Amino acid sequence: MEELYVKPGNQERGWNDPPQFSYDLQRARGQPRNLLNKRAAPPTTAGAAPPTAPPSSNPLAPPPCGMAPRPNPAPPTGVTTPPHHPVAGQREADSSQSEGQPDVEAVVSVLKGALAACRHAVREQVCNDVDKRLRLLEDSWRAGKLSLPVQRRMDALALELQAGRWDSADELHRSLMVDHVTEVNQWMVGVKRLIAETRNLSPELLEAFRHQPEPQPADAAQDSADAAQDSADAAQDSADVAQDSEDPAQDSADPAQDSADAAQDSVSQS
Amino acid sequence: MATYQEFIQQNEDRDGVRFSWNLWPSSRLEATRLVVPVSCLFTPLKERPDLPPVQYEPVMCSRSNCKAVLNPLCQVDFRAKIWACNFCFQRNPFPPSYSGISEVNQPAELMPQFSTIEYIVQRGPPAPLIFLYVVDTCLEEEDLQALKESLQMSLSLLPPNALVGLITFGRMVQVHELSCEGIAKSYVFRGTKDLSSKQIQEMLGLTKPGAPAQQGRPVAPQDAAASCRFLQPVHRVDMNLTDLLGELQRDPWPVPQGKRPLRSTGVALSVAVGLLEGTFPNTGARVMLFIGGPPTQGPGMVVGDELKTPIRSWHDIQKDNARHLKKATKYYEAMANRSAVNGHSIDIYACALDQTGLLEMKCLVSVCVCRFCPGHIVMGDSFNTSLFKQTFQRVFSKDYNGDFRMAFGGVMEVKTSRELKVCGAIGPCVSLNSKGSCVSENEMGIGGTSQWKICSLNPSTTLGVYFEVVNQHNAPVPQGGRGAVQFVTQYQHSNTQRRIRVTTIARNWADAQSQIQHIETSFDQEAAAVLMARLGVFRAESEEGPDVLRWLDRQLIRLCQKFGQFNKDDPTSFKLSESLSLYPQFMFHLRRSPFLQVFNNSPDESSYYRHHFVRQDLTQSLIMIQPILYSYSFYGPPEPVLLDSSSILPDRILLMDTFFQLVIYHGETIAQWRKAGYQEMAEYENFKQLLQAPLDDAQEILQTRFPMPRYIDTEHGGSQARFLLSKVNPSQTHNNLYAWGQETGAPILTDDVSLQVFMDHLKKLAVSSSA
Repeated sequence: MEELYVKPGNQERGWNDPPQFSYDLQRARGQPRNLLNKRAAPPTTAGAAPPTAPPSSNPLAPPPCGMAPRPNPAPPTGVTTPPHHPVAGQREADSSQSEGQPDVEAVVSVLKGALAACRHAVREQVCNDVDKRLRLLEDSWRAGKLSLPVQRRMDALALELQAGRWDSADELHRSLMVDHVTEVNQWMVGVKRLIAETRNLSPELLEAFRHQPEPQPADAAQDSADAAQDSADAAQDSADVAQDSEDPAQDSADPAQDSADAAQDSVSQS
Repeated sequence: MATYQEFIQQNEDRDGVRFSWNLWPSSRLEATRLVVPVSCLFTPLKERPDLPPVQYEPVMCSRSNCKAVLNPLCQVDFRAKIWACNFCFQRNPFPPSYSGISEVNQPAELMPQFSTIEYIVQRGPPAPLIFLYVVDTCLEEEDLQALKESLQMSLSLLPPNALVGLITFGRMVQVHELSCEGIAKSYVFRGTKDLSSKQIQEMLGLTKPGAPAQQGRPVAPQDAAASCRFLQPVHRVDMNLTDLLGELQRDPWPVPQGKRPLRSTGVALSVAVGLLEGTFPNTGARVMLFIGGPPTQGPGMVVGDELKTPIRSWHDIQKDNARHLKKATKYYEAMANRSAVNGHSIDIYACALDQTGLLEMKCLVSVCVCRFCPGHIVMGDSFNTSLFKQTFQRVFSKDYNGDFRMAFGGVMEVKTSRELKVCGAIGPCVSLNSKGSCVSENEMGIGGTSQWKICSLNPSTTLGVYFEVVNQHNAPVPQGGRGAVQFVTQYQHSNTQRRIRVTTIARNWADAQSQIQHIETSFDQEAAAVLMARLGVFRAESEEGPDVLRWLDRQLIRLCQKFGQFNKDDPTSFKLSESLSLYPQFMFHLRRSPFLQVFNNSPDESSYYRHHFVRQDLTQSLIMIQPILYSYSFYGPPEPVLLDSSSILPDRILLMDTFFQLVIYHGETIAQWRKAGYQEMAEYENFKQLLQAPLDDAQEILQTRFPMPRYIDTEHGGSQARFLLSKVNPSQTHNNLYAWGQETGAPILTDDVSLQVFMDHLKKLAVSSSA
């Protein structure tokens, strides 16, 4: 569910505004591949003569391709350019991952389920406040005000919440706030609070939330046997907080694996 | 150790330290003859993923005026369980908990690889992080909206237990109450009246009016956390605060034609500082000030509200014609001092097309002459830009452990062995006026102390620390002897722990008469360039520009006289060894840099550039002095090229990094090809890749740089090509263009001196027998 992309800056308001990086891309940065911190050595006899440069090519000729008319052999493409970033091509990656539109019902019912579980433990005013925001979310979704990337990430967030992967859900909330603040700022704080409150629920209440009827026809995966395993997972999850945050890439790979596991489970049970 | 270069790199990686000289001259006289002082760039919180902190207290020397921390350089008698301090030679018994030590069972701090070590210590209750937003509402609608969204977004990036508060201001100043229930309440202050800290606290109901204020011990932090309605944990008030921010309106007071909006920045800051003083003294806290224009009323005003009076320029300042400058600067300095005492730091995010008064307010966050509490300064055009938004996001970036890359309330102490004294520091620090035996009377930078406060620091915060060799000429240091320096930095980690990081380094003494060549090869010209540049920038804050340049020139000439090889009065015979070969070039570019030249920069911009220059680490500082230039062509992989007009060729793409700007420049031919659209054709795939390569590399720089630089994509003949043209060495100008016979590179229309001419003069002066 990682979204790695770069948007151009706001040239109208900011003079030479730099491009904007998505949240995941900012987090994903590792050691830079090309450290551009070298300086050319000055000519040993500085001041004696102007530095010479290789002859420049004929401006009338088209850019050299594979068979460039040039004394030196055609530049092998692999050498001329530094390794290509994986970033550029991934703009569309997200859309290819999940086909079809996420279902507003499914997302909202998970969130509402969580809220219902919270009602037993959390102050009423807070719950009402969260409820108000969830309705805002629902309304703007139904009114078609939410873009597809936001819908997709909300869908993923609901799944993570249901599965008790709090850190991952929280991370998704953060990525939405950073990348799409204009769309989500009205209601996202309610989702944020919901994640925080659900995470603090007692195991019994959590169980109740987990046992909600699955909105999607997702069959045996949500068996009670599974749920037990899930909550064990959740416990492990919270123990793994530090590890999680260290390795977001692995984390995001997890859900896919999980659902594969679930499928396998249901096969073995049948 | 193979080469000095490897040694230097290893020291920087392990200890975050780069010394100008890596062999130290053994006497005071010889040291002064080396021109560049024995000094270092030190990065107190350098990121060390491989260094887990230890969970116990450091063992300190028992001599009351030493208190150096046990380190790998100490002599240890394992049998008697005694260690000798390497600074004062005091013999200390180990504490009882060390009774089990032996040659084979040593604590980490005695192992050579732990020359830098970090201790987690128990000092008082853990203090929460505090963020107080101070928001200007005299903004355009679009800007205010963008700022509101960024602030709402930041609530998601803050740790849930951090305390957060909100003050907004325009003509009036509003302190918002963040209690969870009921209607929104705020306290309103007039923007024209200067109030004392005590008055502010009384008006906010933080102290009972009339009750005698307990000197030095105001409310204890825990009580304050419970009682303070203005600072609340994020997790408790995030929903309220989101709504509150969402409902913020532009300042409702009408702004007549020809007037500036009335902006009470001075009082707003005073209220913020007073609020924190009363509630969380000596606790890490950040005031984050967001402004869209200059303060125009009340204490601290920088310009009046009449639009026909422009804000002060360098010209006005030189002519002593800046009416509000002195008063405003004094006002902000006093405030900066108060917040520094309490360990609170102030960030300024100024987004406006005109100046906003950074010159006056820089003392809040800057250093040098006003040398007060540090924070970030970010300068942009609008809050609705990626430059602001991403820079702001990066304030909350996390490290490999998931902790924020920020620390608070740092105190750095320097201890030296007897032959060495510390003259001062230059960086985002304040003197703590701690006089000790290792403090020199010769001040360089912020001197007269061995302890400095660094209110807000991050992993790249770097100080220049300057030393003096005090050993007398006729009393040489014993052969093979070593001098040592210990840096002890106490700070509040972003996870609320108190920590102490200790770095102990040693260098060999050398006799400058018999071993001058060894000393020369130990010269770190990059570190030296940055350290001398910091001294220059420090001077520039109080002296006239030309005087600073003359001082730098004199130092350079003396250095060349000392280490150059030449025959007297024969400039052509002049040579510098490899370890000094780049140094004159650095100085050449430094002279042209915006840190010393104010031409074409507003006073605000100069303050901004200098602010960042004196806090970045060596790599970044050097980029600021001499920008990096890479060339992309079909002839091979991208290569670094000379920052010279001869590098501007028609069939190259250039990428220039000046720290504050990233410039991609397409040569004439490349630009024509691009215009013709060759990159769209399949058979010219390699051209497309060539165009893409600098973009990708620029992106990598953009991803890590703080603050975000401006990003310029230009080509031959483009108006923005001036960014490149003004930085390269003008080796070809309209004056000498035809002298060289053939045209290579791009002539620069300037009368500026080129590096070649500069070097010629330098050589002449260095070899001159009359000098």
